[in-house]
Amino acid sequence: MLHPTATYSLPDIEPTRFVVNPAEARFQTTDGKTTGASPHVLNAGQVDRDKPSEPRRTATGEMTPLGQLRANLTGLQDDINEFLTHRMELAKGKKD
Amino acid sequence: MSLNHSLKLEIPFQTAAQANIAKQVLLPDPILKPQDFQVDYTTTDNVLVVGFQSIDDRVLRVGVSSVIDSIKTIVETIDELGPETKELQSL
Repeated sequence: MLHPTATYSLPDIEPTRFVVNPAEARFQTTDGKTTGASPHVLNAGQVDRDKPSEPRRTATGEMTPLGQLRANLTGLQDDINEFLTHRMELAKGKKD
Repeated sequence: MSLNHSLKLEIPFQTAAQANIAKQVLLPDPILKPQDFQVDYTTTDNVLVVGFQSIDDRVLRVGVSSVIDSIKTIVETIDELGPETKELQSL
Protein backbone atom coordinates (compact mmCIF):
# COMPACT_ATOMS: atom_id res chain seq x y z
CA MET A 1 0.00 0.00 0.00
CA LEU A 2 1.27 3.51 -0.78
CA HIS A 3 1.56 6.23 1.85
CA PRO A 4 -0.75 9.23 2.28
CA THR A 5 0.57 12.64 1.20
CA ALA A 6 -0.55 16.25 1.60
CA THR A 7 0.24 19.51 -0.17
CA TYR A 8 -0.29 22.97 1.32
CA SER A 9 -0.57 25.88 -1.07
CA LEU A 10 -1.14 29.59 -0.94
CA PRO A 11 -0.95 32.04 -3.84
CA ASP A 12 2.53 33.52 -4.37
CA ILE A 13 4.40 30.97 -2.25
CA GLU A 14 5.99 27.65 -3.13
CA PRO A 15 3.69 24.70 -2.21
CA THR A 16 4.74 22.65 0.84
CA ARG A 17 4.51 18.89 0.49
CA PHE A 18 4.12 16.50 3.42
CA VAL A 19 5.24 12.90 2.98
CA VAL A 20 5.49 9.83 5.17
CA ASN A 21 8.88 8.43 6.16
CA PRO A 22 8.02 4.92 7.42
CA ALA A 23 11.41 4.66 9.19
CA GLU A 24 10.50 7.47 11.60
CA ALA A 25 8.78 6.58 14.89
CA ARG A 26 6.01 9.15 14.52
CA PHE A 27 4.70 7.26 11.47
CA GLN A 28 4.56 3.99 13.45
CA THR A 29 2.15 5.03 16.19
CA THR A 30 -1.51 6.03 16.47
CA ASP A 31 -0.73 8.21 19.51
CA GLY A 32 -0.07 11.61 17.98
CA LYS A 33 1.81 14.53 19.55
CA THR A 34 -0.66 17.23 18.51
CA THR A 35 -3.88 15.35 19.22
CA GLY A 36 -5.44 14.10 22.44
CA ALA A 37 -5.15 15.50 25.94
CA SER A 38 -2.46 18.11 26.62
CA PRO A 39 0.55 17.28 28.85
CA HIS A 40 -0.75 19.91 31.30
CA VAL A 41 -4.02 17.99 31.76
CA LEU A 42 -2.27 14.60 31.98
CA ASN A 43 0.28 15.91 34.52
CA ALA A 44 -2.64 17.07 36.65
CA GLY A 45 -3.66 13.42 37.00
CA GLN A 46 -6.44 13.17 34.42
CA VAL A 47 -6.79 9.88 32.53
CA ASP A 48 -7.09 10.17 28.74
CA ARG A 49 -10.13 7.97 28.11
CA ASP A 50 -10.22 8.96 24.42
CA LYS A 51 -6.68 7.78 23.73
CA PRO A 52 -6.58 6.06 20.33
CA SER A 53 -6.28 2.28 20.23
CA GLU A 54 -3.04 0.70 19.08
CA PRO A 55 -2.83 -0.11 15.35
CA ARG A 56 -4.23 -3.54 14.56
CA ARG A 57 -1.61 -6.23 14.06
CA THR A 58 -1.48 -9.62 12.36
CA ALA A 59 -0.73 -12.88 14.17
CA THR A 60 2.96 -12.33 13.39
CA GLY A 61 2.95 -8.92 15.06
CA GLU A 62 3.09 -6.78 11.93
CA MET A 63 0.69 -3.90 11.51
CA THR A 64 -2.18 -4.61 9.14
CA PRO A 65 -2.13 -2.41 6.01
CA LEU A 66 -4.97 -0.30 7.43
CA GLY A 67 -3.27 -0.14 10.84
CA GLN A 68 -0.18 1.15 9.02
CA LEU A 69 -2.32 3.70 7.17
CA ARG A 70 -3.79 4.95 10.45
CA ALA A 71 -0.29 5.33 11.94
CA ASN A 72 0.91 7.12 8.80
CA LEU A 73 -2.04 9.50 8.99
CA THR A 74 -1.24 10.25 12.64
CA GLY A 75 2.33 11.31 11.78
CA LEU A 76 1.15 13.30 8.77
CA GLN A 77 -1.49 15.01 10.94
CA ASP A 78 1.23 16.00 13.45
CA ASP A 79 3.42 17.43 10.68
CA ILE A 80 0.53 19.45 9.22
CA ASN A 81 -0.59 20.70 12.65
CA GLU A 82 2.94 21.80 13.60
CA PHE A 83 3.46 23.50 10.23
CA LEU A 84 0.17 25.42 10.42
CA THR A 85 0.71 26.32 14.09
CA HIS A 86 4.11 27.76 13.17
CA ARG A 87 2.51 29.80 10.37
CA MET A 88 -0.17 31.05 12.80
CA GLU A 89 2.55 32.20 15.21
CA LEU A 90 4.35 34.01 12.38
CA ALA A 91 1.11 35.73 11.37
CA LYS A 92 0.44 36.70 15.00
CA GLY A 93 3.96 38.15 15.28
CA LYS A 94 3.32 40.32 12.24
CA LYS A 95 0.13 41.72 13.80
CA ASP A 96 1.73 42.50 17.23
CA MET B 1 -11.74 37.32 2.47
CA SER B 2 -11.10 34.63 -0.10
CA LEU B 3 -10.56 30.95 0.56
CA ASN B 4 -6.98 31.01 -0.72
CA HIS B 5 -5.33 28.82 1.94
CA SER B 6 -5.59 25.28 0.62
CA LEU B 7 -4.44 21.78 1.40
CA LYS B 8 -4.84 18.62 -0.66
CA LEU B 9 -4.75 15.28 1.12
CA GLU B 10 -4.34 12.02 -0.83
CA ILE B 11 -5.00 8.77 1.00
CA PRO B 12 -4.43 5.41 -0.72
CA PHE B 13 -6.69 2.61 0.53
CA GLN B 14 -6.34 -1.09 -0.22
CA THR B 15 -9.25 -1.01 -2.65
CA ALA B 16 -11.42 1.48 -4.54
CA ALA B 17 -14.41 0.22 -2.54
CA GLN B 18 -12.77 1.23 0.76
CA ALA B 19 -11.91 4.70 -0.62
CA ASN B 20 -15.50 5.09 -1.76
CA ILE B 21 -16.88 3.99 1.63
CA ALA B 22 -14.70 6.63 3.31
CA LYS B 23 -15.99 9.30 0.93
CA GLN B 24 -19.62 8.32 1.51
CA VAL B 25 -19.13 8.41 5.29
CA LEU B 26 -17.47 11.84 5.21
CA LEU B 27 -19.85 13.53 2.75
CA PRO B 28 -22.80 14.08 5.16
CA ASP B 29 -20.67 16.01 7.69
CA PRO B 30 -21.95 19.59 7.59
CA ILE B 31 -19.53 22.51 7.27
CA LEU B 32 -20.50 24.98 9.98
CA LYS B 33 -19.09 28.12 8.32
CA PRO B 34 -18.92 27.51 4.55
CA GLN B 35 -17.93 31.15 4.03
CA ASP B 36 -14.71 30.43 5.99
CA PHE B 37 -13.94 26.80 5.18
CA GLN B 38 -14.84 24.29 2.49
CA VAL B 39 -14.02 20.64 1.87
CA ASP B 40 -14.52 18.44 -1.17
CA TYR B 41 -14.08 14.68 -1.41
CA THR B 42 -13.29 12.73 -4.56
CA THR B 43 -11.88 9.30 -5.32
CA THR B 44 -9.51 8.17 -8.06
CA ASP B 45 -9.37 4.37 -8.05
CA ASN B 46 -8.27 3.42 -4.52
CA VAL B 47 -7.19 6.95 -3.54
CA LEU B 48 -9.39 9.27 -1.50
CA VAL B 49 -8.58 12.89 -2.36
CA VAL B 50 -9.68 15.56 0.11
CA GLY B 51 -9.41 19.23 -0.86
CA PHE B 52 -9.59 21.93 1.82
CA GLN B 53 -9.96 25.67 1.24
CA SER B 54 -9.91 28.20 4.04
CA ILE B 55 -9.71 31.91 4.81
CA ASP B 56 -6.61 31.48 7.01
CA ASP B 57 -4.18 28.98 8.55
CA ARG B 58 -6.01 28.82 11.90
CA VAL B 59 -9.32 27.74 10.40
CA LEU B 60 -7.48 25.38 8.04
CA ARG B 61 -5.64 23.71 10.94
CA VAL B 62 -8.85 23.08 12.91
CA GLY B 63 -10.74 21.78 9.87
CA VAL B 64 -7.96 19.57 8.47
CA SER B 65 -7.17 17.98 11.84
CA SER B 66 -10.86 17.28 12.46
CA VAL B 67 -11.31 15.59 9.07
CA ILE B 68 -8.12 13.51 9.55
CA ASP B 69 -9.49 12.38 12.94
CA SER B 70 -12.68 11.26 11.17
CA ILE B 71 -10.69 9.45 8.46
CA LYS B 72 -8.64 7.61 11.10
CA THR B 73 -11.85 6.44 12.75
CA ILE B 74 -13.18 5.23 9.38
CA VAL B 75 -9.90 3.40 8.66
CA GLU B 76 -9.98 1.75 12.09
CA THR B 77 -13.61 0.69 11.60
CA ILE B 78 -12.92 -0.87 8.20
CA ASP B 79 -9.84 -2.60 9.66
CA GLU B 80 -11.82 -4.07 12.56
CA LEU B 81 -15.06 -4.94 10.77
CA GLY B 82 -14.24 -5.17 7.04
CA PRO B 83 -12.99 -8.16 5.06
CA GLU B 84 -9.51 -9.46 5.87
CA THR B 85 -6.66 -8.49 3.53
CA LYS B 86 -6.43 -11.98 2.03
CA GLU B 87 -10.16 -11.89 1.30
CA LEU B 88 -9.75 -8.50 -0.41
CA GLN B 89 -7.06 -9.93 -2.68
CA SER B 90 -9.51 -12.51 -3.99
CA LEU B 91 -12.22 -9.94 -4.77
